[in-house]
Amino acid sequence: MLRFVARRFVSMVFVLFSISVLSFLIFFATPGVDPAARIAGRNADQQTLKAVRHDFGLDRPLPVRYALMMKKLFITRDLTSYVNRGAKVIPQVTQAAPVTLSLVFGAAVIWVIASIAMGMLAGVFRGTAIDTTVMIVGLIGISMPVFWLGEVVNLITQSRLHGSVFSWVPPLGYVPFTQSPWGWFKSLLFPWLTLSILYIGIYARVLRSAIVEAQEEDYVRTARAKGLTERRVLFRHALRTSLIGFVSLFGLDFGALVGGGALLTEVVFGLHGVGKLTFDSLQNLDLPVILATVMYAAFFVVVANAIVDLVYAWLDPRVRRA
Amino acid sequence: MKDRKSLVAVVLVAIIAVVAVGTSSARTTSHRGGTLKLLAKAAGGTLDPQVNYTLQYWQLYQATYDGLLAFKKAGGNEAFTVVPDLASGYKLSNGGKTWTFTLRKGIKFSNGQPVTVNDVVASLRRIFKVKSPTAGGFYSGIVGASKCLTTPATCTLAGGVSANAAKNTVTINLTAPDPEFTYKLAVPHASILPASAPPNDAGTKPIPGTGPYYFASYNPTKQLVMKRNPYFKEWSHDAMPDGYPDEITQSFGLTVEAQITAIENGQYDWTLEAPPADRLTEMGTKYAAQTHVETLTAFWYAPMNVNLAPFTSLKARQAVNYAIDRNALVKIFGGPKLAVPSCQVLPPGFPGNKPYCPYTKNPGTKWSAPDVAKAKQLVNESGQKGAKVVVISPDDEVEKAVGVYLASVLNQIGFKATAKTISGNIAFTYVQNTKNKVQINVQQWYQDYPAASDFLHILFGCESFHPGSDSSINIAGFCNKAINDQMHKALKLEQTNFPAANQLWAKIDRQVTDQAPMATLFTPRHIDFVSKRVGNFVFSKQFYWLVDQSWVQ
Amino acid sequence: MSGAIVDEVLASPGGDLAVAAASPWQLARRRLLRNRVALVMAALLAVIVALCLCAPLYAHHVAHVDPFQSNLDGTTIVNGKRVPVMVQSTQGLGLGVTPIGPTWDIHHYFLGADEQGRDVAARLLYGGRNSLLIGTAAALITCFLAVLIGVVAGFFGGLVDGVLSRFLDLIWAFPVYLLAISLSTVLIARGISFGPFHLTSGSLLLPIVIIGVVYIPYVARPVRGEVLSIRRREFVEAAIGLGASNWRLLWNEVLPNVITTVIVLFPLMLAIDMLTEAALSFLSIGVQAPQASWGTIILDGQDVLYTRPAVALAPGIAIALTVLALNVLGDGIRDALDPRAKLRRTDAEKQ
Repeated sequence: MLRFVARRFVSMVFVLFSISVLSFLIFFATPGVDPAARIAGRNADQQTLKAVRHDFGLDRPLPVRYALMMKKLFITRDLTSYVNRGAKVIPQVTQAAPVTLSLVFGAAVIWVIASIAMGMLAGVFRGTAIDTTVMIVGLIGISMPVFWLGEVVNLITQSRLHGSVFSWVPPLGYVPFTQSPWGWFKSLLFPWLTLSILYIGIYARVLRSAIVEAQEEDYVRTARAKGLTERRVLFRHALRTSLIGFVSLFGLDFGALVGGGALLTEVVFGLHGVGKLTFDSLQNLDLPVILATVMYAAFFVVVANAIVDLVYAWLDPRVRRA
Repeated sequence: MKDRKSLVAVVLVAIIAVVAVGTSSARTTSHRGGTLKLLAKAAGGTLDPQVNYTLQYWQLYQATYDGLLAFKKAGGNEAFTVVPDLASGYKLSNGGKTWTFTLRKGIKFSNGQPVTVNDVVASLRRIFKVKSPTAGGFYSGIVGASKCLTTPATCTLAGGVSANAAKNTVTINLTAPDPEFTYKLAVPHASILPASAPPNDAGTKPIPGTGPYYFASYNPTKQLVMKRNPYFKEWSHDAMPDGYPDEITQSFGLTVEAQITAIENGQYDWTLEAPPADRLTEMGTKYAAQTHVETLTAFWYAPMNVNLAPFTSLKARQAVNYAIDRNALVKIFGGPKLAVPSCQVLPPGFPGNKPYCPYTKNPGTKWSAPDVAKAKQLVNESGQKGAKVVVISPDDEVEKAVGVYLASVLNQIGFKATAKTISGNIAFTYVQNTKNKVQINVQQWYQDYPAASDFLHILFGCESFHPGSDSSINIAGFCNKAINDQMHKALKLEQTNFPAANQLWAKIDRQVTDQAPMATLFTPRHIDFVSKRVGNFVFSKQFYWLVDQSWVQ
Repeated sequence: MSGAIVDEVLASPGGDLAVAAASPWQLARRRLLRNRVALVMAALLAVIVALCLCAPLYAHHVAHVDPFQSNLDGTTIVNGKRVPVMVQSTQGLGLGVTPIGPTWDIHHYFLGADEQGRDVAARLLYGGRNSLLIGTAAALITCFLAVLIGVVAGFFGGLVDGVLSRFLDLIWAFPVYLLAISLSTVLIARGISFGPFHLTSGSLLLPIVIIGVVYIPYVARPVRGEVLSIRRREFVEAAIGLGASNWRLLWNEVLPNVITTVIVLFPLMLAIDMLTEAALSFLSIGVQAPQASWGTIILDGQDVLYTRPAVALAPGIAIALTVLALNVLGDGIRDALDPRAKLRRTDAEKQ
């Protein structure tokens, strides 16, 4: 186990390093991205530009700039934004993290439960009208982009029906759990539902087909022969192995979302999470914040995939840890 | 008392005085208080008033910082008048090259320190130390400024700025007379700050000011908070009036659609952003009482790079001007109540403006309809037919729509055009740099202060063209020696004969329009959408809505 | 596959020897043709594709519009009357201009107009071509490369798996939007050349490749997980011990299961790809204004969401129908190709 953790830690460092270098290079390869003029202000004169460029160390060679930025990010931890002068980057990320975690965990709970229920319904009643209906509902979820769905939800809950049916919906924005648990729940309910609809469609479908297949596996027949009831057969045996696909996708999606992948949901619902931070930094081409958020995201991707690899072994005892 | 009648008169006058004072303070105290909640998509950058160059924060600086002079805090055209602010008055001497300001006594910063002549001198030096964007453009006329521009850190403005503590005066020496200097001292870059303010851009750390409010906190990802300045006592109602709300906040992060909904629901009071096109109708009908439309001295235009094919050809540029259906653009902007077609540089009502439009079916003073046939003919004559053109616009909704429309028009008259968008945050610097080879883009320009040179000389003068730099506001790259000489002549004429200068500017306006380094699109109107509880909406043409002059209760 | 044929013979009532002589593909085709639901879905797909291919016909001869030219001052005929396409508000302050809504008349703005006054229905058909092309091509690239990587990683394990898995992590953690913004800014003025390919920002190859590569981990990791599970089964290890070649194992045991996973994921990837294409278009990569794709029409529809929701809804429904049809058809194909879904023999029984 220790060897596993050690090996994965090394590969995480490798991935983080590669991603940061790639991001750094891509940024400076982009024309028009020189922060000096944007920092200096509208119609600044040439001498001002030169002075600003020197202040920010933008006239030094690339590897030096990279090393300085990494030092400020990890060692001295006082990296500041290009766009909001003086604003430290790391506190921005740590303040945004609880918002994203709240959003993603809640949505994940909803989509896992819903997709398991729908997938099992469709799988068990395969070929019937229930199967088709469940599948259609799921597919509608993945056919509309999340920014559209979020805007429509806002249109209904904040605008059109805000005076009547949805008057209890709070103004857009995050309410910290420590401030008011009930407010926290109300402010996140619709973001949770919106974010999870996309994933319900995918996961229900994956689970359904896995159940359908697994129902025919030999060991299921063996279990039946042993006299176990149909439900126990399903839960115990079929589900465990068929969850491999489910779990792989979950690791990828959850890892990406926790790292800030839910950016459009956060933007539409006014939640100041890591996703919104990522979105703003891309819009502003604010390199320090971009680097911080990209590495934050990469960290979670690697960790999530490592956990998934561990889970494989638990799910299917035949798989010895790779 | 010897005379009974005079006693009665005195008593009567006293009673009336007491009642008058009582009711006037009741008038202001009855609306005093509450929190004004403003919205914006994102923060506006640095909070330092000598560096920030965004309308977003210039609107808030009206209530937090003062200069020696200020634009009058009033509605309509009154707002273009410059009145004494921290200075009680000034005297000109030495042929207009020496300005002596007398400082008012008894004014304190929000940290309790009194305002002294040393603070004034330090602030003027600080303009160069923090590398203010207008240090070169506005203040290079101060003696000693050229040295400050090359070595900002040790800026002393020796010979340019001096103080006399005994007489409580500050003297500024210019290298040449400058009638626009009053304006330059009235903009936030010339705010008077404590001498103890940091010598670099203060960024997110608020600097104490003299206005009725001070910046209490600033988190660029969440919110900006302004609170009442406990040391403020109104000294000039025109220059810096006291405000109504106790607290003013500006919150960041909601999308523009969400902001409009929030204001409709009364959760917030106003948004900085232009409303999305699909909310205009409901705002104009259901929420008409909360929607304020004001004419601006600004214009939307499409600069065409005169140094890059196909717009090296004058005929090609004129063809674009003839082909654009400015009515269609007005529709994109929201209708004739929100935009007025225009063909020239100077906006209507601006000093030096004489209505002129050659690029329409019946050339004269007003635009009426596009002349597509003429445009196609001009394109053929130019030899640029079939040329590939890329129309660039920022990715905001309206600019994007304008860009798409322009590409469509270019295709109509014989070019091969596509529309591309860039993030709004880098678009402005991107299109200025000639290295990016931008042929045509969608641009807006709002006045810095009410002078024709601010439009014509800044946007189309040779001195504003810096090839290879991100700061080259003459985006079209237009440099016509004859016209440029005229501009210098007009600038000089302003010192002696303003009306004659304006006549000359009108002539220059026509000449530039005829050369078509750009296609002027329309004159925009500005919309402010406020919540139901906001009262006393006053709009200054210089700094827009006077935020603290409205009440919320 | 050979085992399957034997199964089929043993299972079919009467054990017709003539059936045993048919090739597996012919058997599969026959099974598919018997699946009525799948056939209906295949027909639906064919109709969608046909309609999209007929886009120029519709635009020129039926609707008489140019769906790529801004038409803000245009007019059309509704109920016999000539009306402007963009309607100015005259109530209250008279602010705002609204495009006309669906007229349900296929000759005149069937689904209404968008924010530039263009015919939504005609754009929908043209858009389908771009969306289907980009979505399908990207999904195919993803599935092909993902199967390759996933199978190799899962089957060979060890260092190969380690390296390939890190590579997948890198792809999944990669800041795609940063790359897209950068690329779009680079490509605005000039194109880049890769050997025989010259890419400009309007080139459809860009979104196809970017989307195709970015989602490789999404298919590769489930595939790898499945292969890991299969690989470790006792009979496989026994077979290897006995000297069975990797190729045969891959072909007989690994691939059939993997194909099932891919068949399920492919239509889902198609939907995701069509929506990701919208995001890239927004960043000026791929389909550029005035060209259309279902994703860009949804984006355009966002701008008129509060007044004309139909503009964004129509392409969404189109995507949903396409994906639904593909899903059901995919199930049918899988059932037809691999009778083991219905009749599974144990591995021991086969030997």
